[in-house]
Amino acid sequence: MDFYGYPRPDGKVGARNYVALIPATGCVNAVAFHLEKMIRGTKAISHDQGCLHPPADTEQVTRTLINLGKNPNIAAALVIGLGCEMVQAEKVYEGIKESGKPVDLVAVHELGGMFETISKGAQIVTEMVVTTSGIKREKAGLDKLVFGTKCGSSDTTSGLSSNLVVGEVCRLMTENGGIFIQGEICDIMGGEYALKKLSVDQQQGEKIVDLVRDLYLRGVAVGADVRGSQMTAGNVAGGLTTLVEKALGANAKGGNVPIQGTLDYAELPKGPGRYIMNFPGHGFENLTGSAAGGAIVHLFTTGRGAPNGNPILPTVKICGNSRTNISMKEHIDVDVSSVIDETETIEEAGQRLYEYAIEVANGKLTRAEILNFDSRMEILIKGPVM
Amino acid sequence: MTNYAKLLHEKDKVATAVADLASGDGVTVKFAGEETEYKCNQDIPFGHKIAIVDIQKGEKVIKYGEAIGTALQDIKKGDWVHTHNLKDDYKVLDKEGNALPGQED
Repeated sequence: MDFYGYPRPDGKVGARNYVALIPATGCVNAVAFHLEKMIRGTKAISHDQGCLHPPADTEQVTRTLINLGKNPNIAAALVIGLGCEMVQAEKVYEGIKESGKPVDLVAVHELGGMFETISKGAQIVTEMVVTTSGIKREKAGLDKLVFGTKCGSSDTTSGLSSNLVVGEVCRLMTENGGIFIQGEICDIMGGEYALKKLSVDQQQGEKIVDLVRDLYLRGVAVGADVRGSQMTAGNVAGGLTTLVEKALGANAKGGNVPIQGTLDYAELPKGPGRYIMNFPGHGFENLTGSAAGGAIVHLFTTGRGAPNGNPILPTVKICGNSRTNISMKEHIDVDVSSVIDETETIEEAGQRLYEYAIEVANGKLTRAEILNFDSRMEILIKGPVM
Repeated sequence: MTNYAKLLHEKDKVATAVADLASGDGVTVKFAGEETEYKCNQDIPFGHKIAIVDIQKGEKVIKYGEAIGTALQDIKKGDWVHTHNLKDDYKVLDKEGNALPGQED
């Protein structure tokens, strides 16, 4: 199966062709929302960050917004500033510009309020849509595919079917030169040494263990043993006995594919293969991190049925629970309960999911997109919020 | 209808039931094109583990090809494996291999 995507000036290839409306601070989300409603082909990348951060978070939010603008699913971007925020709109604008895509900047204080900003922004964005909506999909190599992954609203079937099937997709797509981004440090906890063993460079592998240590110690700082919060009563009732067992089931989304290295939150991978990004399990920040890392499709496994997507990242829901596949039908894209029933092997289901994900990259809509269950997102911060 | 348990790795000592199994039930494990039959020594609910070999007390229990914990007692082939006979001995370790603070057994 071939991949047909939108070519970008930096050589990357997109699965979607949006004009992004990017507030530098959550204070001006309203401008992005109004413009999104007014102008077809646009996507508001709303978030609640951008100000009163410690420097590390200001840097992280800035990097995230730049790399979201650089995501290949974005054809052009309008950065919207207020004028007093810590995350400088100018810096976000300059960062996105490096990609060679059309990008512009408006600021609410400078223009004197929302009406003027919307008026100017609408004119800019309209011309961007006129220009970029004419971009044609072209045949691209399978090495241009970048997939992210996560599991959410998981159950017993996740570690026995859907995660293993995604692991097979990881193998297939990285063999073809693609990039695969995994993370959820909370879920890796217990399985960090197994991932270290898969690392091509043991120093990079030790960084995976460091990410787990860091998360654990941040829990201790607020009086929590986060190991305990990872093993729930529901997990135990469902048959999971130990945290390592749970973690190995989550790790399975990357199979036994060698790991090239770790990525900071929202950092771009430097080459092909499988990476571990420092993103959390929480869906809103997770999907944003994946999109900022350059993912054009996200493979989201679920057992009980997690409906959420992301504004710019088509999110494929994969489920191995035959009951959920009926009760949550409108939210599930790919049914892999066949793996539980032993009517399909993991390899066969993996090939089927790989082809489905390429179809989505080629324009087929995910259910989260069709249902408009994808308008919310958030950017990870460490805090404290001032 | 055949009852199945899933085996995930060739080194594994447990398989996971994908049907509610009763004591005395037969259960089939499909792996690498071969089918092996086991007999349940206790009731084993969907998603729970069955030992496919005898496991000694103190021995590591293997699933996904990795040690997931330690057997608290001798476990017989066909036994239900869960919190009553499998101990979670995971701790977050520092670079020297010592447990970081705040982790009780």
